[in-house]
Amino acid sequence: MSSSLRRFLITRLLLTIPMVLILITVIFFVMRVLPGDPIRSQLGPRVSEEQADRLRERLGLNRPLHIQYVTFVKDMFTLNFGTALTQGERPIKDELAEKMPATMELTIPAMTITALIGILSGSYAAKNRKKPVDYAIRLISIIFYSIPVFFLGLIFQILFSVRIPIFPLAGRMDTLMMTSFKSITNFYVIDAILTQNWPALGSVLLHLVMPSVTLGLVLSGVFVRLTRVNMIEMLKSDFITAGRARGLPEDRLVYKHALRNTFIPIMTLIGLEFAILLAGAVLTETTFSWPGMGRYLVERIQLRDYTAVQASIGVFAFFVAIITLVMDVLYAFIDPRIRY
Amino acid sequence: MEQDNQNNQTSANSVPEWMLDLDRVGFVRKLFISRKWYGGDWWFVAISAVLLLFIILVGVFPQWFAPYDPKAEVGPSLLAPRELPPGYSLIAPKSAGELKLEDAVARGSTLGFVYGSPASQALREITTQMNNEAQEQGSKTRYQPRLSRFETVEEGLEAVLSGKINGFIASPAELGESLEKYPDLAIAIDLRGEAAKGFLMGTNQIGQDVFSRIIWGTRIALIVGLSSAIVSFLIGVPLGLISGFVGGPFDRVLTLLMDSLYSFPGLILAISIAAVLGAGIGNIIVAIAALYIPTYFRIVRGQTLQVKEELYVEAARSLGATPLKILVKYIFPNVIPSVVIIFSVNVGDAILTEAGLSFLGFGLPPDTPDWGIDLARGQDYLRRAWWLITYPGLMVTTVTLAFSMLGESLSEILNPRLAEL
Repeated sequence: MSSSLRRFLITRLLLTIPMVLILITVIFFVMRVLPGDPIRSQLGPRVSEEQADRLRERLGLNRPLHIQYVTFVKDMFTLNFGTALTQGERPIKDELAEKMPATMELTIPAMTITALIGILSGSYAAKNRKKPVDYAIRLISIIFYSIPVFFLGLIFQILFSVRIPIFPLAGRMDTLMMTSFKSITNFYVIDAILTQNWPALGSVLLHLVMPSVTLGLVLSGVFVRLTRVNMIEMLKSDFITAGRARGLPEDRLVYKHALRNTFIPIMTLIGLEFAILLAGAVLTETTFSWPGMGRYLVERIQLRDYTAVQASIGVFAFFVAIITLVMDVLYAFIDPRIRY
Repeated sequence: MEQDNQNNQTSANSVPEWMLDLDRVGFVRKLFISRKWYGGDWWFVAISAVLLLFIILVGVFPQWFAPYDPKAEVGPSLLAPRELPPGYSLIAPKSAGELKLEDAVARGSTLGFVYGSPASQALREITTQMNNEAQEQGSKTRYQPRLSRFETVEEGLEAVLSGKINGFIASPAELGESLEKYPDLAIAIDLRGEAAKGFLMGTNQIGQDVFSRIIWGTRIALIVGLSSAIVSFLIGVPLGLISGFVGGPFDRVLTLLMDSLYSFPGLILAISIAAVLGAGIGNIIVAIAALYIPTYFRIVRGQTLQVKEELYVEAARSLGATPLKILVKYIFPNVIPSVVIIFSVNVGDAILTEAGLSFLGFGLPPDTPDWGIDLARGQDYLRRAWWLITYPGLMVTTVTLAFSMLGESLSEILNPRLAEL
């Protein structure tokens, strides 16, 4: 590892800390400083002031704001989330450990679909720029970008679950199989393979199709556009012209030489898309009753479960920070030009 | 500098005349002139502009387009698009001329039914209501027609023809095609009232007209989309200008803050803000506006950094122009094109986000005619009523599409990096 790379990695890692800190501060600001009393809304109007005070004291909400802030930041960084206020009052860490794999099991296939569609049709459009096929691909990608992800999900449910019952309507697997299913990692696909439970694997995969295709298609809208723009720029570069002059076939130039070089900007795009992916996951999970992080967050907000909400938003923030970090580091490994 | 030289050389040698022309004109005229060379994109701009004008017209004057009050119960619940509500027709000889309902159900007139038809129940309800109204007005008129029952519709219609009864009441389903066999008979009165024609896009579970609701929803979507975009614009653009222009630690801190916010999933931030602030259109606008400030900030700051190194800015400064004047007069005009593009995409995105927020239940009061709310409600009736989600969803898609298409094709036309190809 060269010294410049090491320096980059250290600086980048250090930069992650203020980023997470800022996000945690924003969460703190939203949860405590904005008007609205979380305790009152949790307990309801009929509970006495005394009981409300007791809960406030338990959660440390009666202390001065700056002390609350320090405790909050410390708790977040040590992943000390406390227990939920509703639904069995389980430790939030345990609950999130169940929900997080579900979200990842949904987003990883979705991202793969997005990348495949985006890279293939984006570079095809770039190659045929200003021809009808280019406009057609762009129009379709804008349409997909404009469809609300939950609307596409509902349409798929009507078409492929109600009208033509191919795929299950919602959930992660058949409820009947749930009883005999042993979960080890909470990634159901991996669990089913580990326990060699093949019918369960089939059910899990079948349940995964509609949510991941929905999310993947909607996200591919942005991805096609960004790949196309990058590809057009890449096709203008000197080495492509040189290759063309040497008589290399156009397809080889586009799909091998240019595409390989576009992977670097495309990777940053994947990093940037991650935020959109998580936002999309919240809506997709709600539409398909997928028991992941997003649905958990929405449910707990509706239940006014204040500790669970701040913990799950905090985890989202960590998630984002880590992905950005990983993308930047990978980027630095691939492309030596961007090291500090 | 080296690159600049290269560019100058190529422009002297190979750049066509029209491109040099383009360099000399302003933003709006550039659009018009460039249409010749960007055929497809020009069409995208034109189509989306027409679409947007229409959408804005609908949003400003929904009452011109919506046939019913969006919050009123106007028909039976869950009626499919264009499906006729279960109503009844009173059939009378054509020779009787125009028949009034009051005469048809007056004492002494005889009306026929098929055995077991729910029409007699409906008639009883109608006459009871008419009698009550008459009583309130102090009139002594009583509406109480004699009822006569028949085995089949045909028998009843024969009886009308022969004058044994004054009229025959049947539902469209009972009637079927049989009326066509009697050219002398016609539907004299429709007992279905206003809802007789059915509903263009059906009704929802409370019996509200789906079409009227999506028309009025346009207004909500435009209000939220435009005002939140304006708020983010008003905060993001000045911050970006100042941050890029001033530089130093102020710039660094602000950039870090904005970058962190930018990388965070916007919808989740909006959900938490909206949940804390509570339902209401103002709170939604605030929550959504907060999401797009970093987008304006990043673009404007980046361009300010580029432009402030230009020679003409240097010249202005050496001539004694104040920083404010340099910002407003020399730097701001340079960021206008990209800000226009972001604004257009931003409005579309804001409408999408608003629909998402309402879909999750964090938006507007539950009775508001709003697309997201309608979609969330329709989800419960997925198996029975496809029209409840299809039409509001298509509206969100169309409006977002119009705004994003405008932004996307403008950026294709105005993006200098792409234009050189």
